[in-house]
Amino acid sequence: MYEGVNASDGIGIGIASVAVEPDLSYTPHAPEDAEQEKARYQAALDAFCEKTKTQAERMKVTVGEKESEIMSGHITMATDPFMVSEINDRIEKHECSEQALDEVCDMFYSMFDASDEIIIRERCADVQDLRSGIKAKLLGKEVIDLSTLPVNTIVVVSDLTPSMTATIDKENVAGIVTETGGRTSHSAIIARALEIPAVLSVPDACKVINNGDTVVVNGTKGTVHTNPSKAELSAYQAAAEAAAEAKAALEAYRGKPTCTADGIDKLLVANIGNPDDATGAAEHDAEGVGLFRSEFLFMDAKELPSEDDQFAAYQKVALRMKDKPVIIRTLDVGGDKEIPYLNLQKEDNPFMGFRAVRYCLNNPEQYKVQLRALLRASAFGDVKIMLPLVTCLDEVREAKALVEECKGELRREGVQFNEDIEVGTMIETPAASLIADDLAKECSFFSIGTNDLIGYTMCADRGNDRVRYLYSVYNPAVLRSIQRIVTCGNDAGIMVGMCGEAAADPLLIPMLISFGLGEFSVSAPSILRTRKIISQWTKDEADQLAWDVMQLKTAEEVQEALTKAAK
Amino acid sequence: MVSKTVTLTNPQGLHMRPAGTFASAMGKFASNVTIVTGGKDVNGKSPMALMAAGIGCGTEIEIKCDGADEQEALDSAVQLVESGIGE
Repeated sequence: MYEGVNASDGIGIGIASVAVEPDLSYTPHAPEDAEQEKARYQAALDAFCEKTKTQAERMKVTVGEKESEIMSGHITMATDPFMVSEINDRIEKHECSEQALDEVCDMFYSMFDASDEIIIRERCADVQDLRSGIKAKLLGKEVIDLSTLPVNTIVVVSDLTPSMTATIDKENVAGIVTETGGRTSHSAIIARALEIPAVLSVPDACKVINNGDTVVVNGTKGTVHTNPSKAELSAYQAAAEAAAEAKAALEAYRGKPTCTADGIDKLLVANIGNPDDATGAAEHDAEGVGLFRSEFLFMDAKELPSEDDQFAAYQKVALRMKDKPVIIRTLDVGGDKEIPYLNLQKEDNPFMGFRAVRYCLNNPEQYKVQLRALLRASAFGDVKIMLPLVTCLDEVREAKALVEECKGELRREGVQFNEDIEVGTMIETPAASLIADDLAKECSFFSIGTNDLIGYTMCADRGNDRVRYLYSVYNPAVLRSIQRIVTCGNDAGIMVGMCGEAAADPLLIPMLISFGLGEFSVSAPSILRTRKIISQWTKDEADQLAWDVMQLKTAEEVQEALTKAAK
Repeated sequence: MVSKTVTLTNPQGLHMRPAGTFASAMGKFASNVTIVTGGKDVNGKSPMALMAAGIGCGTEIEIKCDGADEQEALDSAVQLVESGIGE
């Protein structure tokens, strides 16, 4: 059994095909005729571009448009006039094409590698990929082609390059194992898009796994099991089949309304981190966006994003979700989220410090830029504003006053926006929970952020091994808090949702139904499963379970009771 | 030679797609196109050089065009940058 990074979910079983990179070594030499050598390079470049173009077109169909842009990008890079002229210059100075290519690629590699921006540094992998693609053409070798593998192949490679993934035949590749790459690498993104189980960064995978080995890739756990015993293999097969069946069965819930077994409607929406995620949310059948974390806009930038930049991002999500609700959380900075250009002071206790709505209200002019952008986007869809980390009523009042100020400005400027835009709060502190009745009178909605609510209620950091045992949503203190928040919201007639991870917890869902939670905001891949679980419970059944569970005294007892009751 | 200073507004800076779009638009002009950023001259017709320059959102850049169709090239470049280079 080998361990690696769990990059793409599922269990894949098959026969290993260890793809060995072609030998691209050469002996540098001075060509006799520079013009002829330049023509040789041009021919190799043309052949490379032709092949890459075909791959990009194929990939557009098999993987997706966005992923295929990685391939078209390779053509842009390889035919770059600066790159071509640098190579030609070196050939004229008596270098062979291979050497000229290597030197110029090295130059670009180090330029990209030195960048402060991740998005630029990531181009290093593309430089390496196009270098070996063109060099293979020059040397008359073939780079690894994954298009003609037999069915049930487990591909084992040192690194899965974008050009290799372009050739993958989804029908034949049952799993992927690599020696490098993390959860955010190209390989991982593409494996997930293709829904092929993948485990990355398995040390020496190409050496320890042999061609023809039977391999089980568990992309959910991040393990690779070679040549399992008969008994082990049939256990894996049963698990893989069960997982595949369960996944296929969930498709029955696509396009269906979200409601309990006795017909109480619930809203099932998605948590997203950037405008592109809205597409994934829609594809997974989300009924809106319950939490759009606006931080990405600020964290990806070198300075404060302008009103227009922010507006463009919010508008994109609003348009993508059409008339479905889109709840956008205003800047949640501080704590573990650092944004260098804001120059926040180091604090001894950042989680209890100057963060989220506290920071924003202290910088009203800056906050108004975001509020104006949100208001402008509200003309294009059902955009709602959500305040993070509220602990007292004043914060809600102050934020709402700023929203009104922005409305006035926009009105005077003749800019359209939704006059009745809803302003709600996240309830993620014990303080907010305790004054939920008062907050409910001044807010249009609540969304319970369970991750912070558990942390602050239990006073336990889930990242700290020694206190993590306390960090549990099943703790009676946390459950009582959630119940109180939902009750206060419902009593005041406002919508109460949950956007923390607990909203998708199969064990907790009946409790949330019983408490009267109206909206479940979960990660896009959890949508169908959450809809299924909601549909399995009637309010009466959920109430009976909740009544029993709320008598229990410890998290262990609660978890045990909920596990027993799970359907 | 003509030149103008503009501010890049693309949220993720001049990465692959906008760099490619900008360079290929400039490639249609006979004039040389140079971007001056952080005191360095960058070839405006090379997406690789533009990317490597790591021009972030909000950076002021000077666009210099030199050649037969310099004014036309400059107008086109400025318009492109101001409109967010297709993003």
